[in-house]
Amino acid sequence: MAALDLSPAIPLLPFASFLIALLVGHFYPRALPKGGAVPGIIATGVALFLSAWTAFTVSGGEYLNETIYTWAAADSFELAFGVLIDPLSALMLVVVSLVAFLVHIFSLGYMNDEGETGLARYYAGLGLFTASMLAFVIADNLLMAFMFFELVGLCSYLLIGFWFREEGPPSAAKKAFLVTRFGDYFFLIGVVAVFATFGTAKFVGTEEHPGFPTLAEHALTGSAEHVHTFLGMGTEAWFIVVGLLILGGVVGKSAQFPLHTWLPDAMEGPTPVSALIHAATMVAAGVYLVARMYGFYVQIPTLLALIAFIGGFTALFAATMGVVKKEIKQVLAYSTISQYGYIMLGLGAGGYVAGTFHLLTHAFFKALLFLGAGSVIIAMHHNENMWDMGGLKEKMPVTYYTFLSGSLALAGIVPFAGFWSKDEVLYEALVHGLGGLEAGYEGSLLLGAYAMGLLAVFFTGFYTFRMVLLTFHGEPRSETARDPHGVGWNVKFPLVVLGILAATVGFINMVPVAELTGMEIEFLHEWLNGPIETASAHHYGDLLHEVAHIHAAELSPLIPGAVSLGLALAGAGLAIALYRGPDPTEHTDKLGSAKTVLYNNYYQDEYQVWLAEGLTMPLSRLADKFDQGIIDGVVNGVSTVSKASGRRMRYLQTGNVTNYVALATASFVALLIVVGILGGWLL
Amino acid sequence: MAVESQYYLLLSAAVFCVGLFGVLSRRNALIFLMSVELMLNAANINFVAFSYQYGNLTGQTFSLFVMALAAAEVAVGIGIILVLYRNFKDIDVTKATTMRW
Repeated sequence: MAALDLSPAIPLLPFASFLIALLVGHFYPRALPKGGAVPGIIATGVALFLSAWTAFTVSGGEYLNETIYTWAAADSFELAFGVLIDPLSALMLVVVSLVAFLVHIFSLGYMNDEGETGLARYYAGLGLFTASMLAFVIADNLLMAFMFFELVGLCSYLLIGFWFREEGPPSAAKKAFLVTRFGDYFFLIGVVAVFATFGTAKFVGTEEHPGFPTLAEHALTGSAEHVHTFLGMGTEAWFIVVGLLILGGVVGKSAQFPLHTWLPDAMEGPTPVSALIHAATMVAAGVYLVARMYGFYVQIPTLLALIAFIGGFTALFAATMGVVKKEIKQVLAYSTISQYGYIMLGLGAGGYVAGTFHLLTHAFFKALLFLGAGSVIIAMHHNENMWDMGGLKEKMPVTYYTFLSGSLALAGIVPFAGFWSKDEVLYEALVHGLGGLEAGYEGSLLLGAYAMGLLAVFFTGFYTFRMVLLTFHGEPRSETARDPHGVGWNVKFPLVVLGILAATVGFINMVPVAELTGMEIEFLHEWLNGPIETASAHHYGDLLHEVAHIHAAELSPLIPGAVSLGLALAGAGLAIALYRGPDPTEHTDKLGSAKTVLYNNYYQDEYQVWLAEGLTMPLSRLADKFDQGIIDGVVNGVSTVSKASGRRMRYLQTGNVTNYVALATASFVALLIVVGILGGWLL
Repeated sequence: MAVESQYYLLLSAAVFCVGLFGVLSRRNALIFLMSVELMLNAANINFVAFSYQYGNLTGQTFSLFVMALAAAEVAVGIGIILVLYRNFKDIDVTKATTMRW
């Protein structure tokens, strides 16, 4: 029990390190060893220990769901901070604090050893980010989640723009902030809509006052007592609107199509930041939110199909763009977008466990790949172009083997982590797509999403191995690649930890093996069937069948698994065939006009800029005209009229006392006559 | 036999009209001041007359206050006239019109 009581300290510890880095770094920087890294490492280390302890306690069947501080209360609802520790949030706590801890250590090598300035600012940003992300994870209601969702966005902005004196980072930071804020705007309206609809925004709530997913269930299955719908919509139609509004925030934060454009630009930030924020944790906040309120989404087949379709499309779309990129971090950025597409696909397909599983494995192997890329970038003196690399395999074996482990996981090669999770995501999409065919359009949307996800597996295998071969194999193609800068223990240690995890973490949920051998080894399924009935994977499965009416088709996981593995191997094989040898050549020209389209990222930025400049700007100008012309015009008109009449009327004031007295007397006499006539005593 | 109240009122009205006529027709600020005194005293006559008629001393008390006020007003008024003379070399009220627009 003690571990759960301590759980609010998990986000507070990194917050303390943020305060130390900020205040001591500002007032007495000499007292801050390593520019603030030491308090950060201690804080995240202790947070990691507490998270692990919490997870261990939760595995014993305990949970925590309580309000800590109510900061506003009305008759019908209250706004509060609370803690919800269940298997899902405990799992995420471990992931976030582990990655944050390793990234803090890695930063010693990437920032301190490279002689960066402004380290206190850097570590303050990391600390604040870790604190707000952890607080987001343990949030027990949607409003608290929203607040910390915004705070992680702010930290992302601050850290992308860390090198603010250069040209690229500030503009990338602004773009990331604005694009995610566009999605968050819908999320904010969604939070208000949830309060207005259900009167509570709690994810789980209590027996007497259940959370909003449970209230939605009551409304959809019969007794629609506590639910208000708006705009004259039916219950389900209104729930779709609410779900879509919140999904806006998810799509922005998790970089899903069409709000994915900020993530590749965010690579302007320091690489450890990319690993922590733009791969493993903050980007995961979006899909985590879907998983957190999965009880709501799982009841509405339209929303599920839409989530799955966005996910499947993004997975394919981003993977094709990753194929032609030259910078190692750009490839990883597009792969991140693509992998989050898989997580969305898994969640949308009704595979709560599959989506969470991929979220977990992806956090590890993508953080690993980014840190590996960071190590390569240190070695290459901050040159990120893969065509200048090559042959780094012999010079940096630790980086190579850990990076390879992450790459195999990313490509989905058995038995590395990514294979198990991606396979399960695709399997869930397939069986529910087939099973949903009878239910209607949801089934065909799911199958379409599955097809795109499956195709993306091929591209994933291709770009992953293209990246590995260009970076580590062949002959060195530049002077720096021939004589790379060495990296220290603080770079190697996080790589080794994550490398081992990327290879092994998939073993917690080997569904095809369980199917084949009949062993009870689907540990993640059991884990997520946690102590809170309304937030357990089992309950979500029931809701999927009974409320959303989506059923799973009977299908062995072996053949789909073999197909996706085969595609991954084919992609990897093609990359090896094209880019092996001591001096690989560029093959992108063979793509013809497709190459230009891919280099320009399908002109996504261009059309979004057009939307802003060609569409929004004239509209805003019109609104401005209305404001300046009509609204201000009325106000100015009133003042002009009174000013002009005042100018005329002032001649009444002659300055001559006699005139005033005459006027006063005449008026009084006139008044007297009027009163007299009206009163009837005169005339 | 005491005088009827309405005669007092007529006297008061006549004095008031004299004062009003003075204010309206004269230009000399000193005459203005005197005319204002006349109007004030017309009011005083009314006070005293009604006080007498109703046997209530309040009106008479009030007229004492009015006299004190009139004295104060004259002090201020003469001060203003002094300044008027200093600025305009004249006490003609129709010439001091610089405080308009």
